[in-house]
Amino acid sequence: MIVPMSAYLILSIVLLGLGMLGVMRRRSPLLLLLSVELMLNAGNIALIGFSRMWDDPSGQVFALVVMVVAAAEVVIGLGLVVAVFRSRMNLDVDEMSSMTG
Amino acid sequence: MAEQITFAIAALGTVSFAIGVVFFKDAFRAAVSLIGTLLSVALLFIVLMAPFVAAIQVIVYASAIVVLFLFVIAYLGERDEVSGPDRLDPLAVFGWLALFGVGAFGTIAVLTSQFGPDSTPTTTQIGAPTSIGNAFLDQHIIAFEATSLILLVAAVGAVLLAKRAVQLEGGR
Repeated sequence: MIVPMSAYLILSIVLLGLGMLGVMRRRSPLLLLLSVELMLNAGNIALIGFSRMWDDPSGQVFALVVMVVAAAEVVIGLGLVVAVFRSRMNLDVDEMSSMTG
Repeated sequence: MAEQITFAIAALGTVSFAIGVVFFKDAFRAAVSLIGTLLSVALLFIVLMAPFVAAIQVIVYASAIVVLFLFVIAYLGERDEVSGPDRLDPLAVFGWLALFGVGAFGTIAVLTSQFGPDSTPTTTQIGAPTSIGNAFLDQHIIAFEATSLILLVAAVGAVLLAKRAVQLEGGR
């Protein structure tokens, strides 16, 4: 690897931090999901980087599994967003408290 | 040299588009900015010799998932983000603490640790579809089956969610 592994890991940390910042800042669940995608991609960069470092395809297999989980999460998340929108017309994650104990 | 330049371009694109995702007020712009991030990450995957994963990233992530997002944004219409006092504002300090903690700990851990073998081969076949397929079916067959189960559950869940939403409005 000509570019050192630490460069990829630092980039991954930056992307994860931006995703966390987005999850903290955003109040619309739709944009919150976008930030979660950023965090998942940060994980994928690290996984593919380690796969290259150890010359082992397992890391790429993990990254593909992460992509599938992301797709499932987006489907369910957007389904919830649409369901909440149709019943309540207001998109604010702080308002969705009907499941608090 | 080419590898460094490509990495620099891809890293710059990733971070700047990600900043757009986090800070754009408009939901549509944030989603389109996510496409930029995902394509830059695909470029990084190509630099890391994972062309198959890069292709899947472009096909599944940057196309299908973002189209889902854009579809829902278009369906819900133009709406401003809720402003005003946040119920969780008193707890925001813990969020910042977590963010800086993760950033500082991660950076220190990366910079102070010595990892990996001494040298990685310059030519390798780990990114080829054949080796990924072999790894999937030889070593990770349980993950493979769990993946298909997750997709099935997600599809059924989405159908049930939509059905209930329609029933709430009086339809069938």
